[in-house]
Amino acid sequence: MTNEDITARGAVDAASSGLALRDIYVAVSDGDHSRIILDHLDMVAVPGEVLVLTGGSGSGKSTLLAIAGLLRRPGGGHVFIDGIAATELSERRRTALRKERIGLVYQSANLIPALTSMEQLELVGHINGAKRADSRRRAARLLADVGLTSRANALPAQMSGGERQRVGIARALMAEPTVLLGDEPTASLDPELAAEVTALIADQTHARGLATVLVTHDDAPLRRADRHFHLAGGKLHARELVGD
Amino acid sequence: MFLAIRDLRRSWRRFILVGAVVALVAVLSTVLAGLADGLVRDGTSGLRALPYSSMAFEPGSGAVFSRSTLTEPALQAWQNVPGAKATPLGVSFVNATSPSGGPSIDLAVFGVTADSFLAQREEARAALAGPPGLVLAAETRDLGVKIGDIYDLGASGVSLPVLGFTFAGSYGHAPIGYVPLATWQSIAYGNDARGRFSAVALQLPGGVDTAAINKAAHTELKSKDATYDGSPGYTAESLTMTMIRGFLLVISALIVGAFFTVLTVQRTRQIGLLKAMGASSAYVIRDGIGQMAAIVIGATAVGTAIGAGIIIALKGGSAPVAFSPDSVLSSAALLIVVGIIGSLVPLRRITNIEPAIALGVES
Repeated sequence: MTNEDITARGAVDAASSGLALRDIYVAVSDGDHSRIILDHLDMVAVPGEVLVLTGGSGSGKSTLLAIAGLLRRPGGGHVFIDGIAATELSERRRTALRKERIGLVYQSANLIPALTSMEQLELVGHINGAKRADSRRRAARLLADVGLTSRANALPAQMSGGERQRVGIARALMAEPTVLLGDEPTASLDPELAAEVTALIADQTHARGLATVLVTHDDAPLRRADRHFHLAGGKLHARELVGD
Repeated sequence: MFLAIRDLRRSWRRFILVGAVVALVAVLSTVLAGLADGLVRDGTSGLRALPYSSMAFEPGSGAVFSRSTLTEPALQAWQNVPGAKATPLGVSFVNATSPSGGPSIDLAVFGVTADSFLAQREEARAALAGPPGLVLAAETRDLGVKIGDIYDLGASGVSLPVLGFTFAGSYGHAPIGYVPLATWQSIAYGNDARGRFSAVALQLPGGVDTAAINKAAHTELKSKDATYDGSPGYTAESLTMTMIRGFLLVISALIVGAFFTVLTVQRTRQIGLLKAMGASSAYVIRDGIGQMAAIVIGATAVGTAIGAGIIIALKGGSAPVAFSPDSVLSSAALLIVVGIIGSLVPLRRITNIEPAIALGVES
């Protein structure tokens, strides 16, 4: 136990940028007894790599992502974002850290129905208290990066699933995060669009030096993965990469 | 309000129903304000128009003229106050029938002396000083009363010609007819008046020890506002109207609260997303309440405008309504305030939404 602890800290020092999970433990009470979801799990995602997580439903993938994204606290263990021990911070500081360093891409994009593509991105700036002109400029550049300049004024209902998810990716990049987390980003897309969206995420990861973690059921993300882990029994198991 | 404004612009259909309900409440509340003002005016406009600052009644009469009888010594006591003006006033209700063919009318007969400060206009003083006759509220002209009509006043045996019309207003929902005080006394008491009248109308200078004078004069002093309470039905009408409007306000607050709560439940995932994006609860609440406030203000403005139109259309009809911008605006302002208070109902629910909801994870 002590030995493990030391290696954990050593690895964290090595991963002073990117995302590191150490000794994460989560159990939920399931009636009389408690069920272990994440069992003293370790994970490191370094800048410029796409880490893909697979796992059966109920294996705890989403919980793991919520913990990595500072959306919930684990029962035990530590989360480090760029070497900062987030688990020891107040809720306010965690929120600030999440705003500044973590981008989230959701299943089915999870866009706000009333906002245009441009405004989805501008909203991030508005929440962060950025200057209107600055966030407009940045939003326009990001929409160009994901190839959606012509769809800047389209509402989610007027776009295809692939376009929506590209907006979702641009939105996640709005606050210039260092960690990008994707929750089934290709789940609602056909294989062709899924490959396109995955390629976009991978390209952005390499171009911007993001530490990217994608949770998925699909094959498309696996083809662009730098590493692949399978979550089962509350532990991560390394898997061989599938070649293109 | 970044999100709220755009949501309102693009999903306005969703807000039609709640907007319509708030607007209807505003219509109702505006019309009720008009009715309340109308009733109040109908009950007390005659008193409001008179230039007195307070009124001395017989103790225990509760500002009701018919229960108050005063005589010369009481008047004297008040007239002796340096700087004060005091004048006797007789008030009673009679049914007036016209043997000469005019319409039958209920009258609030006000008896005043010709030199009274209550008679403000020269013609009025002249009419009161001349041969006895009635000076009627202008409203009676609309009922078909003409100058020169002869009226028998109740069972008193007194018959008087109509001398003219004036803006006398009404009291206790009856138009006022002015007569000389002596004539009023014979209407009220026949040949046995013994100098009696109902009350002493006063214009008092500041710093008068009214308690001492009340004691000496055996009277009870009421402020001008307090004299309205004695008007028949006035207190009950005011209370009824206030109660109905109070209920409307409560209903409006509850409707807004219920709607916003449902909206919040529907938006749970979106609120989780906003929080996952780093928005504080305060940010989400500001946005949501701002949106509800915009709806309430818009709907109230529309409803109030419609209500004001209805009041103006009802004017001159059988229902006593009055259009007073003050009370219409204050009723609208009150509706807006309670609407915004109502939108505070789901505050806790919003605060309790976890950002992890955005990932479909319950923590």
